[in-house]
Amino acid sequence: MTTPVITAYNWSPDRGRGLVRDMRVRWAFEEVGRSYDVRYLSWGQQKEPAHRARNPFGQVPAYEEGDLVLFESGAIVFHIAESAPGLFPEAPAGRARAIEWMFAALNSVEPVVWDLIIARIIEGDKDWAAARLPLVEARLNNRLEELSARLGDSEWLDGEFSAGDLMTVSVLRPIGDSPLIRAFPNLAAYVERGEARPAFKRAFESWKAGQTGETPAAFAQPKHEPEGEAA
Amino acid sequence: MPIDPNATAEITAFRWVPDFAAGLVRDLRIRWALEEIERPYRVRLLDATNPRPAEYFLEQPFGQVPAYRDDEVQLFESGAILLHLAIEDERLLPFDRNQRMRSVAWMIAALNSVEPIILQLLAIDIFNRGQEWTKERRPQVVDFLEARLGKLSEALGDKEWFEGRFSIGDMMIVSVLRQLRHTDIVGKFPNLAALVARAEARPAFQRALADQLAVFEQHQPEAA
Repeated sequence: MTTPVITAYNWSPDRGRGLVRDMRVRWAFEEVGRSYDVRYLSWGQQKEPAHRARNPFGQVPAYEEGDLVLFESGAIVFHIAESAPGLFPEAPAGRARAIEWMFAALNSVEPVVWDLIIARIIEGDKDWAAARLPLVEARLNNRLEELSARLGDSEWLDGEFSAGDLMTVSVLRPIGDSPLIRAFPNLAAYVERGEARPAFKRAFESWKAGQTGETPAAFAQPKHEPEGEAA
Repeated sequence: MPIDPNATAEITAFRWVPDFAAGLVRDLRIRWALEEIERPYRVRLLDATNPRPAEYFLEQPFGQVPAYRDDEVQLFESGAILLHLAIEDERLLPFDRNQRMRSVAWMIAALNSVEPIILQLLAIDIFNRGQEWTKERRPQVVDFLEARLGKLSEALGDKEWFEGRFSIGDMMIVSVLRQLRHTDIVGKFPNLAALVARAEARPAFQRALADQLAVFEQHQPEAA
């Protein structure tokens, strides 16, 4: 079997938190016990034609395996989960529900989390930010409340840990230490449980070991924003 | 005609929505897929103008539509339902491994890289219309969206469909772009506009749209 190659940055503006979306893919590989190689880009190279051919939006991650070239962390995690046991239950109905939670994370949770990061960090210095922030926080709070109600006192969203949990934990990580999520202790504990998994830790260490690039001049002053497909 | 009260597949949909949402509510994505694969379904209607009943949150944790059930599964999230319907049907998802995975990638790109930006614009143009901050913020959201659509347009090029043949990737890209119908933004990218028109011309799409709109027509609120 060809060893897949993923594309990642050798520097990212997330203050060492590992919020870039290649983390999800690394984590998925570790959960299913598959090895992979990494092609590192320095900051800025993601916009160049060579990488745009892999990822039409000029973002990371991209995934290459023989003649298959994939983009979108959700699609790559789906592909990895299909390729080896560990992230999708065997029964078709259980698998469909794991996929359901992946989509919920990507389409119903992440956009609301991302909106908070836009409002607070990316647009934090704009005149309108203060007027908009309460709406963004209210919407996020509402979504977290619904998610918390569904999780209840379960360990994972639907029985065993699955790709759905991997993706949900991943999209919550950027706000993992925020009071917004701390208001829902079961969600905060859920994120911590995800991050405590040995596969997550291995993925994080390999991500960290790859952070060898220089801080680009544009980021020399302190400012951080999670980067990846959406940023 | 796939709507059949005795069908095993069931979707939830709204009884009535205001004009800005009519023809865009997400059950349309599922109706469309069911029409494409000629699978009969029944519809359970919910009231959009009042909070959803508490028990509905057991089916759909965020209280949204659609939720879906058949004799095998009970699901929410339009993307997950679409994938469930497509996964073993070559009319919606090619069997060739590379085409199949890339079609899934386009579907997820629609939901995670395109739709979130469109929702930012809808928050400005529709849900918070008139608030002061929306006027100041709008130009920057439009620039960001157009930059993203520019890349999408480049990726489509002169192809008929994203992976050469119609798939759930095209369905979801078209479904999210249709939410910009109140603007001229898609028209700035002629190949994307043509993609939307091509998809909307499909008989399956036409039937799905007509069926969604017919429900709203039957349940018009009484004039005040």
